[in-house]
Amino acid sequence: MRWLRFAALILLLTVLQAGFLEIAAVTSLNIRPDLLLIALVFFATYFNTFDAIIASFAVGFAADLVGPVMGPGMLGFGLCGTLLAHLHNIIAIRKMPYQALVIFVAGFLVGLLMHLLSLFKGQYAPASTYTVIFGTAVYSAVLGPFLFLPLAWCMRIKTRRFGGR
Amino acid sequence: MTLGSLIFFVAPENLTGNLQLLFAHILRWPLKMGRNASLSARIQQPLNDVVSRREYDKVQNHLVNLAEQLYQEHRRVEKLSGLRNRFALEGAKLVPAEVVTAAVDASQGQLIINRGVDDGLAAGQFVLSDNSIVGIISEVSARTSQVKLFTDPTSKIAVSVAGLDIARVMEGAGSNKAAIHMIDIKQPIRPGDNINARAKPGFLDAPVIIGRVQQCRRNDQNPSVWDITVAPVCDLRNLTSVAVIIMNPQP
Repeated sequence: MRWLRFAALILLLTVLQAGFLEIAAVTSLNIRPDLLLIALVFFATYFNTFDAIIASFAVGFAADLVGPVMGPGMLGFGLCGTLLAHLHNIIAIRKMPYQALVIFVAGFLVGLLMHLLSLFKGQYAPASTYTVIFGTAVYSAVLGPFLFLPLAWCMRIKTRRFGGR
Repeated sequence: MTLGSLIFFVAPENLTGNLQLLFAHILRWPLKMGRNASLSARIQQPLNDVVSRREYDKVQNHLVNLAEQLYQEHRRVEKLSGLRNRFALEGAKLVPAEVVTAAVDASQGQLIINRGVDDGLAAGQFVLSDNSIVGIISEVSARTSQVKLFTDPTSKIAVSVAGLDIARVMEGAGSNKAAIHMIDIKQPIRPGDNINARAKPGFLDAPVIIGRVQQCRRNDQNPSVWDITVAPVCDLRNLTSVAVIIMNPQP
């Protein structure tokens, strides 16, 4: 793992997530794709278990920086990333439909975990929380596999789909 | 790693919140650029010879504030005939601030602005936009501050209904709305009535409009009281700049 590149990429994604993604928001619930979630699945899919686990906690920290409170993101992303990294040792997630499915499931899990942990921190949960979690997971799943190519380019790795490794 | 996460999770919010403010401060330029880009993508082409909704709301809010101040002054004159009083917000300093990031959705209503302790800001100060109160400073660092909008579900602000002597606490309800509970159903409140933030010594010396009654509904448990839904009188989702009211500023 090239950690400097990784840090720059996460910083870029965090700024995009916090500042620019309003453009892509849909419905009155302001549902947006989660770039950090897509990055989480990308790192879990293309890096070794140890690197993927560290990356998932770092991505969670970035999610916390632009979230309502610190803590739930790091735990939610970290635990889900760890699970994905171990799962990747058993099942290869290379085809786009599978990647989309994994992003959807991961998005739903991370969203639920963050929601539950936020409740522990005394955060308010509106009635539409589950709709937002579901919508974000679907939106990210649709967009995510297409972002794997630029992410792979940024990290200077070759994915099998784009020409062998 | 998990232990580190747990430490962040259990750490007090005023400590971890500073990290978020620091992040917003360091990356304020790209964040603000992104926000401006998002907002400009939403803005529609203006029609000729038509005042924009924002301009209209701004002037309308100013009118409501003046009317409420006039009402208050009349009451004072009645009580203290002959004694002079200074005009509302006469001694106040308005610190203009730009919005760096905004999180306005069902679960939260918060802004990060590019002014902080160095500019004289402190927690509890009222924040104004388009001549209406939009929230209160909740956290401050040296150069950035967090504004809790009055629609944030954890927000509580003392308000009154314009023209009526009804003082209540308005609670944020998320989704760009706030709510006032337990108002006697005999009170003549109607949708469209103005809601003012009440004067608060040291922070606000005159009532200022904060919202407008959107809906009056009987309470489910107690039908003899209203549950009132209040909508903002300015576009909270598209705020780009605000002003912080500092009463009795230090020279």
